[in-house]
Amino acid sequence: MLPIDAAAHSSRWRRRHPVDKAVLGLGLTVLAISLPPWPGAALVLVTALVVLLGPAAVPGRRLWRAYRVPLGFCVTGALPLLLQVGGPDGFVTLADGGPVRAGELLLRTSAASLGVLLFAFTTPLSDLLPRLVNAGVPAPVVDVALVTYRMSFLLLDSVRRIREAQAARLGHTTRAATWRSLAGLGATAFVRAFDRATRLQAGLAGRGYDGTLRVLVPPARISARFTLLSLALLAALAALTLVLERPLR
Amino acid sequence: MHIAEGFLPPAHAVAWGVASAPFVVHGVRSLTREVREHPESTLLIGASGAFTFVLSALKLPSVTGSCSHPTGTGLGAVLFRPPVMAVLGTITLLFQALLLAHGGLTTLGANVFSMAIVGPWAGYGIYRLLRRFDVPLMVAVFFAAFVADLSTYCVTSVQLALAFPDPSSGFLGALGKFGSIFAVTQIPLAVSEGLLTVLVMRLLVQSSRGELTRLGVFLTKARPRTGATGRADAADAADAADVTGTTDTTGTTDTTGAVAR
Repeated sequence: MLPIDAAAHSSRWRRRHPVDKAVLGLGLTVLAISLPPWPGAALVLVTALVVLLGPAAVPGRRLWRAYRVPLGFCVTGALPLLLQVGGPDGFVTLADGGPVRAGELLLRTSAASLGVLLFAFTTPLSDLLPRLVNAGVPAPVVDVALVTYRMSFLLLDSVRRIREAQAARLGHTTRAATWRSLAGLGATAFVRAFDRATRLQAGLAGRGYDGTLRVLVPPARISARFTLLSLALLAALAALTLVLERPLR
Repeated sequence: MHIAEGFLPPAHAVAWGVASAPFVVHGVRSLTREVREHPESTLLIGASGAFTFVLSALKLPSVTGSCSHPTGTGLGAVLFRPPVMAVLGTITLLFQALLLAHGGLTTLGANVFSMAIVGPWAGYGIYRLLRRFDVPLMVAVFFAAFVADLSTYCVTSVQLALAFPDPSSGFLGALGKFGSIFAVTQIPLAVSEGLLTVLVMRLLVQSSRGELTRLGVFLTKARPRTGATGRADAADAADAADVTGTTDTTGTTDTTGAVAR
């Protein structure tokens, strides 16, 4: 199981309805990209961190491991904003206001990422996917997504074991051997995925498979209190940003 | 490399979502039709999605010595066709956003456009073009993966340049800046992905000829397909035998020479 999904399954908010957590987590993300980066995104970032490490009780180390992935892209993507191409001072020069723009972008992206991480770290995909039918996603697409989700872990596990076996047989000692091993890994993943699908199909056919995959979804009700509190928090953040924006500029 | 959460301004995020929607809707409709006609396809398409997800998680050694992940869009497009890849790519990108923190939900439309639409269509287009001129299968597969990978990152550069134009030279200057980071540096990785895809396809030709035949990979000329998974008929099987030069199904025969003719 992948670290974020494993954390979501043991999350303190696991039993909450996904809509509750979507309102809070994705609401924070929407605020982060909609409000002015300073002070709006900064407020969202602090709020998301407090909620993640406080009420949601997400382990700090796990959060950092997941958080550094989007941060890497943000830093790389923000670097070009520091420079400008053309102009009277030379072909490539430092851009006026570049550091401010790059800083605002970093602030906005890091705050938005934390909002999504709040949702991801508290909501297992197995709770979310079956409920997408209620949101209007066609049932066949949800079924395909469910099969993809469940099979991905089995395949990732197979790939990890095959890689260990290849390494034990000196399959990664030279560059040529590494390429051969990698190709074997990709091909084996394909073969195993289709073999597993065929066997799963035979098993389901024996149980009267009619084309729909029914799965048990843990019962959960949308909490009006939690949702209203989340909306109030989002509204307060937006109001505070508008109040603080002028004095802080 | 996916565009991270919150990186694009809201208007751009919405616009790329709108641009991706028709392709994804088309893919969803063809997938839904396929599943209704052949319920067992759910499992095969789901397996294809899992394969795409796992493929994008493999670590790829670059020819420059660094390390990256393949996009898998070229191989996916050749195996499963671009309309299905639009759906599988969207599902994969959603999983990557929520399970790996790669990409994001507000940037899902932009990432779908580059990785699940332009990449697969560009790769599949070059693949069909080369096969139409009877270019050997493995050469066509290499260029499909190379073009799919590179076009994905070129579109990512365009998306970023549109969002963050250069203060002095505007869109073109920004395209040069982002292109030099995301597209030019991707050329060796695209070569690596092309080589890896050829090696994977060679092994698949030997070990999974039945599946490849059913997916219609061996077709050299345009033939009508019967569904999203590209079910092939007896003529396709004949094509497969023709391309591989043998009808052996055990995968023990060396097919390299026959395929590369």
